[in-house]
Amino acid sequence: MSDKPMKFKVKGSIRDLLRFKNLVKKRAKIIDAAPASFKEEPYINTLAARLHPELQHLVVREVIEETGTCKTFRLVPDGAGSRELAFFQAGQYLSVKLDVNGYRITRPYSISSSPSDALKGFYDLTIKRLEGGFATGFIWNTWKTGSAVTASGPLGQMYHAPLRDGRSIVALAGGSGVTPFRSMAREICYGRLDATLRLIYGCADDQEILFHDEFRELAKKYPDRFSFVMVMSCEETSVEGCEKGFITRSVIQKHSNPAVDSYFTCGPDVMYDFTGLELAALGVPVKRIRREAYGEIKKPLRFKDFPQSAVGRAFSINVRLKQGSVVVSASGDESVLVALERAKLAPPSACRSGECQYCRTLLVKGDVWVGPECDGRRAADRQTGYIHPCASFPVSDLEIVLPENGEVRKN
Amino acid sequence: MGERWDREFDAVVVGAGNGGMAGATQLALSGKKVLMLEQHNILGGFSTSFVRGRFEFEASLHELCDVGTREDPGGAGVLFRDLGVDVEWAYVPEAYRLIVPEKNIDVVMPFGIAEYIDAFERYVPGSRPVVTKFIALAKEIGEALAYLAAMKGNPDKKVLLKKYPNFIKTATYSVDEVCHALKMPQAVKDILYAYWCYVGIPMSRQNFTLFAVMLYKYLLRGAAIPRYRSTGMAEAFERRFRALGGTVQLNTRVDKIIVENGRVVGVRTAGGELIKTRHVLCCAAPPKVFNGMIHPATEVPARALKSVNARSIASSGFVVWLGLDASPDELGIRDYSYFIYRDTDTERLYRDFSSLGRPSVQATVCLNRAVPDCSPAGTTILSMTILYKPEAWKNVEPQDYYRLKNEIAGYLVEDFEKATGCSIRDHIEEIDISAPPTYARYTGAWQGVIYGYEVDSWDSFLPRLMAMKDEQYIGGLRFSSGWGIRTIGYSSALQCGQTEALLTLVDMNNEGVTA
Repeated sequence: MSDKPMKFKVKGSIRDLLRFKNLVKKRAKIIDAAPASFKEEPYINTLAARLHPELQHLVVREVIEETGTCKTFRLVPDGAGSRELAFFQAGQYLSVKLDVNGYRITRPYSISSSPSDALKGFYDLTIKRLEGGFATGFIWNTWKTGSAVTASGPLGQMYHAPLRDGRSIVALAGGSGVTPFRSMAREICYGRLDATLRLIYGCADDQEILFHDEFRELAKKYPDRFSFVMVMSCEETSVEGCEKGFITRSVIQKHSNPAVDSYFTCGPDVMYDFTGLELAALGVPVKRIRREAYGEIKKPLRFKDFPQSAVGRAFSINVRLKQGSVVVSASGDESVLVALERAKLAPPSACRSGECQYCRTLLVKGDVWVGPECDGRRAADRQTGYIHPCASFPVSDLEIVLPENGEVRKN
Repeated sequence: MGERWDREFDAVVVGAGNGGMAGATQLALSGKKVLMLEQHNILGGFSTSFVRGRFEFEASLHELCDVGTREDPGGAGVLFRDLGVDVEWAYVPEAYRLIVPEKNIDVVMPFGIAEYIDAFERYVPGSRPVVTKFIALAKEIGEALAYLAAMKGNPDKKVLLKKYPNFIKTATYSVDEVCHALKMPQAVKDILYAYWCYVGIPMSRQNFTLFAVMLYKYLLRGAAIPRYRSTGMAEAFERRFRALGGTVQLNTRVDKIIVENGRVVGVRTAGGELIKTRHVLCCAAPPKVFNGMIHPATEVPARALKSVNARSIASSGFVVWLGLDASPDELGIRDYSYFIYRDTDTERLYRDFSSLGRPSVQATVCLNRAVPDCSPAGTTILSMTILYKPEAWKNVEPQDYYRLKNEIAGYLVEDFEKATGCSIRDHIEEIDISAPPTYARYTGAWQGVIYGYEVDSWDSFLPRLMAMKDEQYIGGLRFSSGWGIRTIGYSSALQCGQTEALLTLVDMNNEGVTA
């Protein structure tokens, strides 16, 4: 190609040049001719806000006693801050925002009612009271009919994805970990989720079993869509036709087809460790195993790679605020998030499992240990030093930048 | 007055998308006290990534134009160099593979001008002269724009006319109009137009200047992507900006830009904080800003609203991300970038952006073909993108939303398998799907739009640039994103941010305002 421009015209040399000369004038004319009014509501943003509200303002309509340690709280919109409930995918959770005597904390709870129930106007959260539980104790004492509850929109990744999971789901549930599967069972039986569900439900005693009557009823009414088997680890049980012991590979093999089924797991962390090994031994590939978020690691010491040097030690965290900084005490066996909450700093959080990214925080100095199943950091975040405080434990003194909590309003 | 404000900055960047990050870094580099506010918990806007299981998916970028190498940087490469932002790049192996099953087209087009013309001649014998002519025009336009940039927008008109006459002559026309004048046969257009969907409007309307320079730069310098996804780029900006003394504040939405007597005096966050500043670089869309963010609303000039209403809002995206449990070789996925079109009639393809049937277009990327270790050994990352006009999703109710997303994703997977002969369906380990509301959710994007305004010839970057002074409606407020003067695209948004920051510095100098 030579340096000299080639001879070319689009519609005539003069005409082309004139058009260029008039380009800005033409543009001004088009703009001046347009209306100066507001054209259209941004309906996509409205849809996004309906699907994914930052916060939902709810009221307890009913408290249902399920077992000695579990209650279901039926939540409805308060009619002011929220006029409807966000639709969701069976298996998702809400992050509940609690103010426990000035300590602002969050807890993730799976929605135990179905998406169709949300359209009818309610969510059920079925919550087990933990012994000495800071949050559940507070919920037990304060959530009564008429109480106000603030929660996130629906979150979480453990839902049926038809392209990935196929139609045959097997749920491995332990104790109160059965809650997301009641949501799925209902949705499948209601005919709004095109799949079948086989529930393998492990409990430690007869009194712990949740939704037993409903599961029996659904299994009877919709045998082609839903079935379940109880796996009781206690010595004595009155549950008929149950398996004894734990959810072992032989139980899994007997009650499902490891060659094709997709396995969804929800329960305590020891159960994840156990069923994970059993499924691997049965040759189930990673792609057919889903897990609800791990939950906050309560005893990091049980992990082999947890640094011994940090065991039982106290650390300090220098927390940079928007203006100035504060020093917070922390210990090697609790997460950075808990240390911040204990200091009443109210950082954002949701899943408390290293998955949702809500608590993403810049670590300026120091080292943390991150739970192996909870490391949801991006490659670049590792380079820059971003951590998820909910899944990070201090192994030295730290300096961090406190993330703003967009949910906490001044007024 | 002093009582009213919580903090004060020389400039506040509202939204840390590409333009915001580039602009903020430029201002900080020039010694200004800058606050970058971002509503999400990470910088980058659409330039981001997310983790699902053992995969980290790239949120939006297919290929960044005009990076070049360290030794021979293109425009974008120069921007990163000048701002001191150190990004680790990976290079895209080929320009594109285009598959149009209905027309029996399946071609792999290489980067490199000579290589591209040769490949064209192989696929369409006799195409060499017209493709060569097209690229000569594109080259002239690329050089004219470089000259304009070097002259800081004040070119010698005689030089422009003498050296770059075709730049002037083609500037007001669409791609179709110019290709008609070139007497380009349909078989050539079928392959040459492949990148049309990166601009997203039909070639009967798509401005020639923009398309030609894009194609030319891709062929000249190839394409790059950040080694650690767009987050790698965003965090390179963040590290540099912080090192220059800039202040980053995440999880903070700006809900008002406060204006007095036609000029910015500050911003207010959703948390109620009042920040004093006379200069705002804004990544939020003008329709959003002029329809509710300016406070008081009476400070919005009528012409600003006319300016919004005169334009057409471009497309939003729909992406299916797949983490596959087999390697690209095992799956038979040979190429990085696939354009799979039902037809080559861009009018028809564009019309389908407005309805929710089976998509007619997909731009699919296999990330491992540019970054082989982007996922664990024996796995593959594939992402499939289509565009939607917002109106296609207007009547979607929440209870139908997830089913609809899965249905469209199913079509895309099926169409990819049919077009390429690769089986992927049985290898899906992770899947996620975004739709227009997803973009609105994470970035607040107006109508979920990822592309800004449509780029008709009257609203392409030359007219936007030439009318810039008349269209700055509020003193101190500049738009630094795809909605701005450079129009759509990753590198355009970056360059827009830098340009608007430089213009802000001029404003500051003229006002004699210092920190």
